[in-house]
Amino acid sequence: MDVQEYILSGIIESYVLGLTSPEDSAEFDRMCAAHGEIRAARNAFELELEENLLREKLEPPRELKSRIFSEIGMEKNNQPPRISLRTPALVPRVGFARYVAAASLILLGGSVLLNLYLLNQYKKSIAQYKDLVASQSQVASANQSLQTKLGSYENAMSLMNNPQMVKVMMPGLPTSPSPSSMATVYWNSESKDVYLLVTHLPKPLADKQYQLWAIVDGKPVDAGIFDLDEGPSFVKLKTIPKADAFAITLEKKGGSTTPTMEAMYVMGKVTG
Amino acid sequence: MGLTGSYNEQELIASLKARDDQAFYFLYDHYSGSLYSIILQIVKRPETASDVLQEVFINIWRKIESYDPVKGRLFTWMLNISRNASIDMLRSKNYQNNQKNQEITDTVYGNDQVTHTHIDSIGLTKFLVKLRPEQRVLIELAYFKGYTHDEIAQIKDIPLGTVKTRIRNALLQLREFLK
Repeated sequence: MDVQEYILSGIIESYVLGLTSPEDSAEFDRMCAAHGEIRAARNAFELELEENLLREKLEPPRELKSRIFSEIGMEKNNQPPRISLRTPALVPRVGFARYVAAASLILLGGSVLLNLYLLNQYKKSIAQYKDLVASQSQVASANQSLQTKLGSYENAMSLMNNPQMVKVMMPGLPTSPSPSSMATVYWNSESKDVYLLVTHLPKPLADKQYQLWAIVDGKPVDAGIFDLDEGPSFVKLKTIPKADAFAITLEKKGGSTTPTMEAMYVMGKVTG
Repeated sequence: MGLTGSYNEQELIASLKARDDQAFYFLYDHYSGSLYSIILQIVKRPETASDVLQEVFINIWRKIESYDPVKGRLFTWMLNISRNASIDMLRSKNYQNNQKNQEITDTVYGNDQVTHTHIDSIGLTKFLVKLRPEQRVLIELAYFKGYTHDEIAQIKDIPLGTVKTRIRNALLQLREFLK
């Protein structure tokens, strides 16, 4: 093949612009390797083209450069270190990312602080809430016991105000183991019910119990055993149809059939 | 020479192969405008051209090892990477869908010419108008649309040999314009 003819056939331009078929390209490479003139001609066209096209610049978008180099930078970080240590002009490439990172850190820090503050507030509120629940239940149970007491006082008041009630005061006897003792029997003259109000009696031993007696025609009749409650207690005992006097003795637990005279604490006569 | 500044072509290639950052910045600063211009002439739309240019530079960075100076100049190599990437973009489904939408928009708003006229006055495109219409259409199909000679022979219903001869003649004329 004539080299000059080959050079002027348009194959060079076609090859350089990438329009040759793979077979034509392979042939051209062989021809270039074999003929310096062809290489020179190719190089001449490449230079003409390059000079022409370099005069035809169009400015790509400004941000594209940093986009490209940040992507290249990321790829580079995933590569084995084959690069030189000269890494100039890093600042424009990472500038924006750095601002974003800094802003993220500031936001994160703010968020952490806010969360700590809110957590602290939450813990305080929980503690306050528990205190409130505890004191509320204390108030409620105190209220409950006051209600119960108030109920029993109201009950006692209505009994004492009943006009059919006969009041029998029983002061401590001089021979009593506790002369300062004091109790009162409220005896319903119609229903014959007996209520006892203990003002003061010493606390008995665990195996002892107080017992009320009605004295009928000089003989003691059992009117019931009772326990001492906290504070002044008002208890209903046995029904007694007839009595001249009432007395309290300390007996063995469960009561006795006859009173132990030396353990008589109080006594009072029925008047009127 | 197309190069100015601190590099001659051999130095530039050596630095690029050593993955020297400065060399890549130099490469971008000197060649991105010309390559962007070529890409834009093929894909027509600036935002698409930007995407292609990004891909091209990343490919240059990745493939610089495989560049062989025996086969041609660095610029020629980059020019062909740019053209191939642009033509790949033309054939992507995404681009074709966008193109359909664009055509509808252009039809509706009647701005088909307005959008692209400035491209006709740059680079290789401006030489195309000087060619005879039957040559111009072949260069258009071969260079800017990426059809092979075989495909063009089928599309145009002319013998393959004729396609090849006409294209080479057209390119020889083009070269006269370049001078």
